[in-house]
Amino acid sequence: MIDRTVANVTCLGCGCACDDITIVVTQDRIAEARNACALGIAWFGDGTVPAETRVNGRTASLERALTEAARLLTGATRPLVYLAGDVSCETLREGVAIADRLHAAIDSLAATAATAVLAAQRRGRAGATLGEIRQRADLVVFWAVDPSARYPRYGSRYAVAPRGVAAPQGRKDRTLIAVDVGEALGPADADGRLAIAPADEVDSLEIMRATVQGRTVGEEARFRAAVELARRMTEARYVAIVTDGEPGTTSADPARAEALVTLSQALNAPTRCALSTLRGGGNRSGADAVLTWQTGFPFAVDFARGYPSYQPQAGAAALLGAGEVDAALVIGAPAALPVPVATALARVRSVVIGPRASAATFQPAVAVDAGVAGIHEGGTAFRMDDVPLPLRPSFEGARAALVTVRALRERLGP
Amino acid sequence: MSKPTQLRIAGGTVYDPANGGGAGGADGVVRDVCIEGDRIVAELPASARRLDARGMVVMPGGVDIHAHIAGSSVNHARRLLPEEHAADPMPAPRLDDGAITRSGSGGTVPSTFATGYRYAGLGYTTAMEAAVAPIAARHAHAELDDTPIIDAGFFVLLGNDDYLLRQLGAGEAARARDYAAWLLGTTRAYAIKIVNPGGVEVWKGGGDRRNVSGLDDAVGSSAVTPRKILEALAGAANALGLPHPVHIHCNNLGQPGNAATTLESMKALSGQRAHFTHLQFHSYGGAAGNGWSSAAREVIEYVNAHAAVSVDVGQVMFGAATTVTADSPVEHLLYASSGRKWVNVDIELESGCGIVPYAYREKAAVAALQWAVGLELFLLANDPWRVVLSTDHPNGGTFLSYPELIRLLMDRAYRDERLKRVNQKLLAGSALLDGLSREYTLGEIAIITRAGPARLLGLKTKGHLGPGADADVTIYASDSDRAQMFAAPRYVIKAGTLVVEDGQLRRAPAGRRLAVRPEYDAAVTKDVKRFFDQYACVAFENYGADPVA
Repeated sequence: MIDRTVANVTCLGCGCACDDITIVVTQDRIAEARNACALGIAWFGDGTVPAETRVNGRTASLERALTEAARLLTGATRPLVYLAGDVSCETLREGVAIADRLHAAIDSLAATAATAVLAAQRRGRAGATLGEIRQRADLVVFWAVDPSARYPRYGSRYAVAPRGVAAPQGRKDRTLIAVDVGEALGPADADGRLAIAPADEVDSLEIMRATVQGRTVGEEARFRAAVELARRMTEARYVAIVTDGEPGTTSADPARAEALVTLSQALNAPTRCALSTLRGGGNRSGADAVLTWQTGFPFAVDFARGYPSYQPQAGAAALLGAGEVDAALVIGAPAALPVPVATALARVRSVVIGPRASAATFQPAVAVDAGVAGIHEGGTAFRMDDVPLPLRPSFEGARAALVTVRALRERLGP
Repeated sequence: MSKPTQLRIAGGTVYDPANGGGAGGADGVVRDVCIEGDRIVAELPASARRLDARGMVVMPGGVDIHAHIAGSSVNHARRLLPEEHAADPMPAPRLDDGAITRSGSGGTVPSTFATGYRYAGLGYTTAMEAAVAPIAARHAHAELDDTPIIDAGFFVLLGNDDYLLRQLGAGEAARARDYAAWLLGTTRAYAIKIVNPGGVEVWKGGGDRRNVSGLDDAVGSSAVTPRKILEALAGAANALGLPHPVHIHCNNLGQPGNAATTLESMKALSGQRAHFTHLQFHSYGGAAGNGWSSAAREVIEYVNAHAAVSVDVGQVMFGAATTVTADSPVEHLLYASSGRKWVNVDIELESGCGIVPYAYREKAAVAALQWAVGLELFLLANDPWRVVLSTDHPNGGTFLSYPELIRLLMDRAYRDERLKRVNQKLLAGSALLDGLSREYTLGEIAIITRAGPARLLGLKTKGHLGPGADADVTIYASDSDRAQMFAAPRYVIKAGTLVVEDGQLRRAPAGRRLAVRPEYDAAVTKDVKRFFDQYACVAFENYGADPVA
């Protein structure tokens, strides 16, 4: 019955990039994704992807589609390249090369975490790879996030449950604290929790930092629990603070990210602390890494002047919204695009190369379906903490995004 | 098959110290250098294409033995420095052959393409990335794939590796050696790197201890010490017959009085080949809370007397720098004292990463001392074959400052002029202030920038211009301003391709990867896999530069 099993498969369903998935293929369909969480099971699906090639909505040859794509992009005065999800770093590298060649603006799914990235650019960060949190953390503070919803195995694989070098009994050796900020709640099974009103959040973080630094702070009643938590943190051996880098359902104070960075940095004077910033899937951290090494900037880059310039306030959504863009190339899965980007793409001529391109809601002029990186195509992806992982395809035969994007680049000429 | 390209570099003054010419300060030799394909050959037919190099200086392509140019730590540094990149944009160069080139950005930590083009523009054709955590090897290779022209490899971090330390604690020397060999192969690394042995592990452990302070401090609760780590990995590199010996960044980097630790580390490995990197940062006298001074003479005299020891200097150059190192406890100190922005990343079971952007000011007492210590190491060294030019790019300054450093070494009048301008507070009694008259010759520069590092790296086809060598050649127009001369070579040839002509980048071929794959007893992988199953967050099968399975 079982055609084959593929072990040690990396899942890109969220930024955890769990690489312990075993895919069971039966009758050319994914019958089971062992070890995967619900998000992962949904991400793998049954392993089928459409294989359409369309120009202006009609089926076309790949040759014709690439010719039309090249014509459309080279004829544009203000092209935009958007690096979407579910493509490998190898494909992303080709995508940045295309933007460079076209003198285009380029942005990526990594921009969803712009607030956290910009805070880290201003202040730096005190961090750790996820596995080091597993080895070390004895106090884990979930700041306005319960990872179980959007990062389901974060707790079981990394920060909470597993045994680590300095936490031989796993969960028993760790204290979990949930910080609930307004409606953004920490995990229900935390050992302790405190509630902070959203309006008090950044002040609380500043007061906690002052406490950590031994500066005297007023003992206003509404900050008492935060001060107490800060003291507890300084007494721990290795603190992990977990925060969500992706936008949530409730809006967060934009100053939160920086205040968390400076608190976690300050904690490294009396003890050790790592801030773990959760990021979404689809290899968006790979897009951040590739754009950084090729241009020097992590997202929202503009090649219009013939070299990369950084426009964090004028990324894809802003450029599209302002009507500046006259042609767009989306590399990756259009289904996971941020809503403002997808909506605005309906107003420009676009080319999409990636998984389920033909199903894009914004009706691209050229749509070339490709396989999903990690299901139909190999390569490299980055975990949310910048650890690179290999991708192991479970199927052969789907059109590869890498060779397709490369073919487009070659068609653009030098 | 098309005939390999032939080129005769005619009539230049050739500095090829590895083949006898120019060694020990002798003048260069006027002769032709012949290239066929990507190799140097003994002779070519008279009809071969000629490049007129009369009056010019011909050397092998430069070899950088220690720089931070690719991988996760470098990329964290890039991400931290958008303002530097904005200030130093690099449009895509136009090439003769119409090939695609890439734009990028510079600053102290340039983008990958800028790194490759700029090294080539400087006449360097080989560079070693000095610190890659094994878990991020795949990332480092991807960046090197995007770093054009130069041949490159990397050193893999092992001095704080949890599995390795466990083997040392258990007295399993053979298994530790097999593990090192396996790791080198699976990450496609070139050499073993030790950074602050044991110190990063202590920093990551939390609690009261922040670092180790000496060779015999305990690392964890086991019997592991920095000394044991040094001995085991130096022994492993030598027993495995690696082309480059263990590459050591000692304990106590940047601390006053650290020369004692440095000398003790050298003595601990007495008689074994070992390379001590960025020695300048490890050659200070004085004591914590009791001032700094130069201990360069003491340290370099030990090096002079011990042929198995080699070093690179890690010169500090005035201006912007970015400190980026696996020595994360040191970066925390720098963050605390400088108040600048700071990145720390603890890397699971292996290593650490710390970054602080920095600037060395000539009016700052410690920076001036560091500058002087580096120059003293160069000027008091007896054997240029074992003392390599480096700035620990971008820690002491960027690789673009090498020409200025060469001028400081070659031109005493210029050096003395610069010395007058620096803060003298900590220079009392230093050899440099007492007056060091030595001026490096072109032959010696050829040794410390190419022939020496190539030999120390065991790169048999690099750093020289004998038949069979890689056709990596740099040709300079002679100029009494040596900074000018070395900053803008007239021609650079990489693997037989003319990449720089009249000071302009003309072609940008891909470079090659330099890696080793030593033999080991495969039994070790079973034990490593057990360890992975117990502690790691990456599957054993997904580890390394390629899937193992």
